[in-house]
Amino acid sequence: MKVTVALRGTLKKLFGGPTEKVVEIPEGSTCEDALLAAGIDYKQTNNFGFVSVNGMRVMIYDEVKEGDYIKAFSRVTGG
Amino acid sequence: MKARILEEKYNAQAADPNQNIMSAYQNKVLRINLAEEDATIEPLRMDFADKYVGSKGLAIRYMYEDMKPGIDPLGPENNLYFTTGPMTATPIPCSGKLSVAAKSPATGTMNDCSIGGHIGIRLKFAGYDIAVFEGQSEKPVYVVIEDDEITFHDASHLWGKTSHQAEKELIDEYGTEYSCLSIGPAGENLNLISCINCDYYRQAGRGGIGAVMGSKKVKAILVKGTLGVKVPNIKETTDRILEILHENALSEDNEYVFDEGTYAFLEACNDGGILPAHNFSAATDVKWDQYNGAVMKKYRLGKRGCGSCALGCGNFMQVGDAIVEGPEYETTAASGPQCDIASIEHNVKYNQLVDDLGMDSISTGVTVAWAMEMAEKGIHDFGVHFGNEEEMLKLIEDMAYRRGAGAELADGVKVASEKWGGTDFAMHSKGLEFPQYEPRGSFGMAASYAVSDRGACHMRSYTANSEVFEAAVPPYTHEGKGQVLYDLGEWNAIKFSCCLCDLWGTADYAVMSELLTLITGKEWTEEDMSTVGRRVLNIGRAFNQREGFTREHDVVPQRLFKDKLKGGPADGQVMTEEGFQDMLDQYYEIMGWDKNGCLPQELLDTL
Repeated sequence: MKVTVALRGTLKKLFGGPTEKVVEIPEGSTCEDALLAAGIDYKQTNNFGFVSVNGMRVMIYDEVKEGDYIKAFSRVTGG
Repeated sequence: MKARILEEKYNAQAADPNQNIMSAYQNKVLRINLAEEDATIEPLRMDFADKYVGSKGLAIRYMYEDMKPGIDPLGPENNLYFTTGPMTATPIPCSGKLSVAAKSPATGTMNDCSIGGHIGIRLKFAGYDIAVFEGQSEKPVYVVIEDDEITFHDASHLWGKTSHQAEKELIDEYGTEYSCLSIGPAGENLNLISCINCDYYRQAGRGGIGAVMGSKKVKAILVKGTLGVKVPNIKETTDRILEILHENALSEDNEYVFDEGTYAFLEACNDGGILPAHNFSAATDVKWDQYNGAVMKKYRLGKRGCGSCALGCGNFMQVGDAIVEGPEYETTAASGPQCDIASIEHNVKYNQLVDDLGMDSISTGVTVAWAMEMAEKGIHDFGVHFGNEEEMLKLIEDMAYRRGAGAELADGVKVASEKWGGTDFAMHSKGLEFPQYEPRGSFGMAASYAVSDRGACHMRSYTANSEVFEAAVPPYTHEGKGQVLYDLGEWNAIKFSCCLCDLWGTADYAVMSELLTLITGKEWTEEDMSTVGRRVLNIGRAFNQREGFTREHDVVPQRLFKDKLKGGPADGQVMTEEGFQDMLDQYYEIMGWDKNGCLPQELLDTL
């Protein structure tokens, strides 16, 4: 299935230009799998914050489905 | 007039073995007596500096020392403190913040605000660690501080003018080498949601601090400094500070600050389920992309930062005649989704209007959103309705000048709801309106607002950080939140006492202790940072305890327990009173307070 991985905050530069990428992953994959397919290992990514799917915060181990829009946010502080 | 130096106090300091003078402090406290139009200089209490470092902590410790409990916050006995820190006016990045503190007329608690711009640096260069305004003037005045020359001037011609008008007239006359603090009509009219402006676009916003300045009849304060700050081993110190600047402050972790500033929070909060909408009924806004960072960039004229800033969070924007450095995330959320208005042009106009009138952009937005819900529920119609921009902006002017329905809302949502009803959805703690993080999407924020030393504030324990932005702890539970509250509260307490900007998110205890050691000539450890942070939390609580505050005042509105949140990832979330009380128990225990939230005598004795 195809999903889109989009980057936010200071993660935006990780794709070296574009801020989102469409990736193909097997059924039953998680957000972590989608990020790995896009070339991002969140455990090795400095300042990694959280992920959302279709505008809703989820956990990194939650499953995704065909057509999902996955955002990876960097941490922010202050306010 | 030249400020008189109180030699006998300096002699006493020299004879006191506990008063070890550290570098980077000016060792001068300027006390300005408004009734007598007199000014004196006394030595800084170095024992206080040793225990509280500067800015926030030092301001609260002085308030605790100087002011009797039970005083009228709008009376002559309330002092107004402008407090720098040892890092102010040094090459340390992001150190341009100034603490503005007084007893709050809105909450009755202590209140310290952190203001940017260049005022802190100029006050330090004028030779002072702290400037204290005491008493009240009989007539409107503005005060000029230029090194040790302090002058008082008739401000009758400025009284009644907006904050920006007054500042422009003064800066046109005196020049841009001065920084200006000013109040608008809201502060003059003693509105409990009034603020103090600095250098046009920066504010000490919360707790009615503008009304304290207004009660003293001080329209504006101009500051120019021509002195320096002494630090040891200037070359080595500067070289190491520059390394920390590049290795830490300018690291990729903080890049978002320059890119979007606090606009970066908007999407994170929306997707995270903590962007409050419709007066804290919902925590997501389907129209958020109409006023997000991408839209902001179309209106942005350029970037701005405060003095000493390395990050430049400010987005300088213009919409028609409205020019602002902002709107920040808080202002955007309070004026936009909270009021069902999805327009960045509205956000900018709102921001410019409340700044000019001298009103807190958070409290004003929350008060208006409450008034809109009052009309929606048919309880009372203040003439504002969800989604109506024109009504909103008109009402805000009336609030500043206490006209018509605006007069009913001029003192914020606590005062208004106690008269008109709707207390369950009047979103405040201790009389300070909620910031823009929905607690039902981040349970720790409810306890954070409740135990904050000045009423509902996100700049104390910012638990949304761990619960949402880092996904480090589960957000929809009270379990374990006492420790999260404490850890983040302690960090901010020492950070603001160092006068560092909260947006320098990588300034950890190692960085702060090294910087303090470099500039003060005294060895500071990471453990010291923790100790000072904890002490600052305690002195704030001790001040409030002396004013009669206990556990019964650590409350949040019933909406959080009665109404399920609508929309977003936290859809359907509601808190329980038991869970909330458990968070308080956890936090009190960590702090060493009793079940009633009070410091025991042995703890008070250590302050």
